[in-house]
Amino acid sequence: MTPAELSAATTGRDLRLPFGIALVALACVAPLFLGNYPLHAMIIALIFLLPAHGLNLLLGYTGLLSLAQSAFFGIGAYTSALLAVYFGTPFYVNFLAAGLAAGLIALPLGIPALRLRATSFVMCTLGFVIIGQAIAKNWISLTRGDMGLAAIPKPYFALGPASFAISGTVGFYYLVLTIAAIATLVAYLIVRSPAGRNMIAIRENETLAESVGIPIWYYKLIVFMISAAFAGLGGSLYAHYLTVVSPLTFQMYYSTTMLIIVLGGGAGTISGVIFGSLLFVGLTEALRVAPELRMIAYGFFLLGLVFWFPSGFAPLIGRFWSFLEKRK
Amino acid sequence: MFYTIIEQVVNGIVSGSVYAIVAVGMTMIFGVLRAINFAHGEYYMLGTFGAWFAIEYFDLPYPVAVVIGVVATAVIAVVVGNFVMQRIVGAPAEAGVLATLGVALILQNTVILAFGGSYKFFSGGYIEPVSVFGFTLAEQRILIIIVGLIVFVGLELMVTYSRMGKAMRAVSQNIECCAVVGIDVRHIALWTFILGAGLAALSGVLTAPVNVSVYGGMGELITFKTLPIIIMGGLGNVRGTFVAAMILGIAESLVATYIGLQFRDTVGFATLMLVLMWRPHGLFSAQARF
Repeated sequence: MTPAELSAATTGRDLRLPFGIALVALACVAPLFLGNYPLHAMIIALIFLLPAHGLNLLLGYTGLLSLAQSAFFGIGAYTSALLAVYFGTPFYVNFLAAGLAAGLIALPLGIPALRLRATSFVMCTLGFVIIGQAIAKNWISLTRGDMGLAAIPKPYFALGPASFAISGTVGFYYLVLTIAAIATLVAYLIVRSPAGRNMIAIRENETLAESVGIPIWYYKLIVFMISAAFAGLGGSLYAHYLTVVSPLTFQMYYSTTMLIIVLGGGAGTISGVIFGSLLFVGLTEALRVAPELRMIAYGFFLLGLVFWFPSGFAPLIGRFWSFLEKRK
Repeated sequence: MFYTIIEQVVNGIVSGSVYAIVAVGMTMIFGVLRAINFAHGEYYMLGTFGAWFAIEYFDLPYPVAVVIGVVATAVIAVVVGNFVMQRIVGAPAEAGVLATLGVALILQNTVILAFGGSYKFFSGGYIEPVSVFGFTLAEQRILIIIVGLIVFVGLELMVTYSRMGKAMRAVSQNIECCAVVGIDVRHIALWTFILGAGLAALSGVLTAPVNVSVYGGMGELITFKTLPIIIMGGLGNVRGTFVAAMILGIAESLVATYIGLQFRDTVGFATLMLVLMWRPHGLFSAQARF
């Protein structure tokens, strides 16, 4: 168990729940005191939270490093965009279709990829991103190549005769907040279930896990697909927020960002990923002056994570909780 | 038509030589450090920028610029090697990927920040065309092929006969036993890394007159082309990597001519995916080690 979970288990989450509720409440009223640009940063962070949860399940809980989140993010974005632009389907159809498409495409991709050893697997996942970008660029009849798809309509919901469209940053913020909250809940439920414990077993010692009867092959494949679905859902939100998709959605940059969110916050904890997202927002905000400076900061972040904070900042959070609890 | 194919194959051999010089460095680094150096392409870029800087701001002749480019990159490699690469020895596989990714981001964006993101024009180099066996080639391309061969032969000799080379082979085979026999693994790791980075830089300066445009992001593309090469050649396998580089160069050239230029950069990874499905341990290795 991570230090955070351990302290919670032994002292009974006295402070974590109220703190969590306070955080959620704060998030709900954020638009009242945040300007448009910080709100935009929060929206991006919340959108990225979905693929980050997926990557966390894959890397943090099952121990598989994958760079393919960009690929499924892009697949989700394009699926959503294509449905919206060519068929005018309502948002929730696009959204769910994106997740479904990404998850299903992950199946034929994952089966051969998961047979590979760690290093080759990482390369293979990188390959998915690059091939994905190439397809987006060259299948011009479908994706309009480099020009991308534009004028993706804002999400609208139809409930019988009533329908309303989400326009404006604030509306979108609440939409994304709700979806992110649901996604976090789903991730939490997966992780707390017996399946989640099996995933951790696979991460810690594959051979031992297999010897106790956990079907590691199926677990890896299913987690890969779920992780892809999460990324696809995030991509759908991204497409609807930016109203434009292009082959640039398939960049390594997104995979790197998600890696930083997951590793920075602490792979293997749900709260860690949320923390990582906030961290990412903070970094983006603080360094919005020069995007290159931000990327340099990312680079140093990665180095710091590898050499000094291999468990991310989760242990620090754990120590913070124990410190507060001792103070009571 | 036959002439065109031969011409494209020759072009392919030129780009293959470029890739080979870069890739053998990366595969040696992997052999010793067990880490995929995601930042490898950035050293290619740094070498090019070093030479470009020397020519633009100091009006130095091309051969001097070559030396400056390689030396500047080597100096940066010493710094990176000491602070980052040496710590990767013995660390889990993911550590290498993430750390070198971080280094790549830092190097690439520092250069963009310092020199601006626009494309720079590389003047210099021997771009006069000469006629060889009825083909017209820029002199620089012939130089690239020659240097590629020299590098390959030189490395073969070094690895087989020199003390350093034998130590490198030992480290790539069994790190623990190296400590037993008294080989300073971290020292070997550092120097292998510097050698690899230097080779990448050399490749960059040699290719710059042919590519003409120099920009901060050029390293990333090189990294993405070299990764398939070293995996197909077999991680740590210098000869296999050399052959794989040549194959990729020629394949890219043929694809660009007969299928479409826009697919040229995808050939590498597309082939890699196929190879990984069919022969995960690379085309030339007997069994999967990684």
